[in-house]
Amino acid sequence: MTGNDDVNLDRVWLGIATEVWRRRPGRVERLTGQLLRSPGLARALLTAPSLLMPWLIATILVLGAGVAATRSSGQPLVALLAPGLAAAAIAYAYGPGIDPAWELSYSMAVSDRMVLLVRALAVFAVNAVLGIVASAVSGAAVAIAFDWLVPMTAICALALAVATVARSAIAGAAAGLAVWAITVLSVRVASGQVTAVVTRDVLVLPYLAVSVCCALVAVYATRIPKGTPR
Amino acid sequence: MNIDIADLTRRFGRNQAVAGITLQAGPGVVGLLGPNGAGKTSLLRMLATVIPPTSGTMRLLDRDPGSSDSRREIRRRLGYLPQNLGYYPGFTVAEFVEYFALLKDMPPGRIPAAVAGAIERVDLGAKARAKLRTLSGGMLRRVGIAQAIVNGPELLLLDEPTAGLDPEQRVQFRALLRDLGKQATVVVSTHLVEDVGAACTEVALMDAGQVVFRGTPAELAAKGTDQDTGDAPLERGYTAVLAQARALAGTRR
Repeated sequence: MTGNDDVNLDRVWLGIATEVWRRRPGRVERLTGQLLRSPGLARALLTAPSLLMPWLIATILVLGAGVAATRSSGQPLVALLAPGLAAAAIAYAYGPGIDPAWELSYSMAVSDRMVLLVRALAVFAVNAVLGIVASAVSGAAVAIAFDWLVPMTAICALALAVATVARSAIAGAAAGLAVWAITVLSVRVASGQVTAVVTRDVLVLPYLAVSVCCALVAVYATRIPKGTPR
Repeated sequence: MNIDIADLTRRFGRNQAVAGITLQAGPGVVGLLGPNGAGKTSLLRMLATVIPPTSGTMRLLDRDPGSSDSRREIRRRLGYLPQNLGYYPGFTVAEFVEYFALLKDMPPGRIPAAVAGAIERVDLGAKARAKLRTLSGGMLRRVGIAQAIVNGPELLLLDEPTAGLDPEQRVQFRALLRDLGKQATVVVSTHLVEDVGAACTEVALMDAGQVVFRGTPAELAAKGTDQDTGDAPLERGYTAVLAQARALAGTRR
């Protein structure tokens, strides 16, 4: 037993403050933390700007408009919209351009490269799922509903590479959207078909080549210098 | 030694920010003084493993930050407050400190108590659940200090921590520094020589990318004379050493 004089009020308050200020992670964060084996990485993933609710709602609204336009015009607009949306989302996933505490984040034990990787993969997966659902709802042909995934990969890799090299999310998003728009228009002029940009087999290899090259550029741009220079 | 660097240099294009610094430091508070552009921030960024050196050798907490496993271990035991603390406006104080505790790989079970302790140490308990966008500049600086100390770092690097703090907060902060320096190596970059005099066990004065003086605050103060510029002995010592270093550099050129 201790008398009242022995009560350490600072310690008591700290115990209360610990409970009052404690943040309870949601189910998604707990599950992600278990999957990634790192609560820090899970928290970093779920704070990605392009995975936050306002961004997701905006994406759903744009895809919804694409579904409506596809149904009324018969043109597969969802297949053309989805890669551009995903590219912008990837550019805004991580980096000095969008993270106000970038310098601080860069000195953390959970490496910035790992954060970039999980965020980019998650953003890509979420956008792919949303795009596929929108394609299915729009009643597009099965081939068109999935063919845009390859060009989407290429445009996302391009946006990521530009965003990491230029250290600017806006530059990455602009590059992705601009290159995608130019590609769509060029292929349409050459083939006379608006869907050719996602359906032509001859374009698959160039898309894959762009994806690999841009991924390598992003990896190089985020490399950690090996060894201390002597 | 928690810091053991030799002939460390850092170049940004044509600009030589750090020009061959050799420094060892164990537990205690080291004040880093110097004019703007002296290389203080570049040195702190290298020590924080944010940028690699251009040349030289560096060991932190008895590890080589050049290897990824060692760097990760160093970062777990490191606290860093950058000159420009970016923050997430929608986070609360507690969420911000907790976020960086998680990124420092702290055991999740220890984090809530560590967050509460760090917030209390910087006297922000009343604002723990306030959004960062509602805080003043001085409060944000204290949030930055809280995230830096949340993991009980063995190496603490603070770049102008007292900028924006009012006199009362600065006095409290000096006491906190003295307390932290009992077990950790604390490197504080500042323009305020009175902070160095009150809180630091050692001082390193930088100019043009080099350390031009190293000793105790009393030794620096003793370098000054009544003819030197400054209102306090430490300020006069600071200006005297700088003037000597610049005269010497001018003679060499």
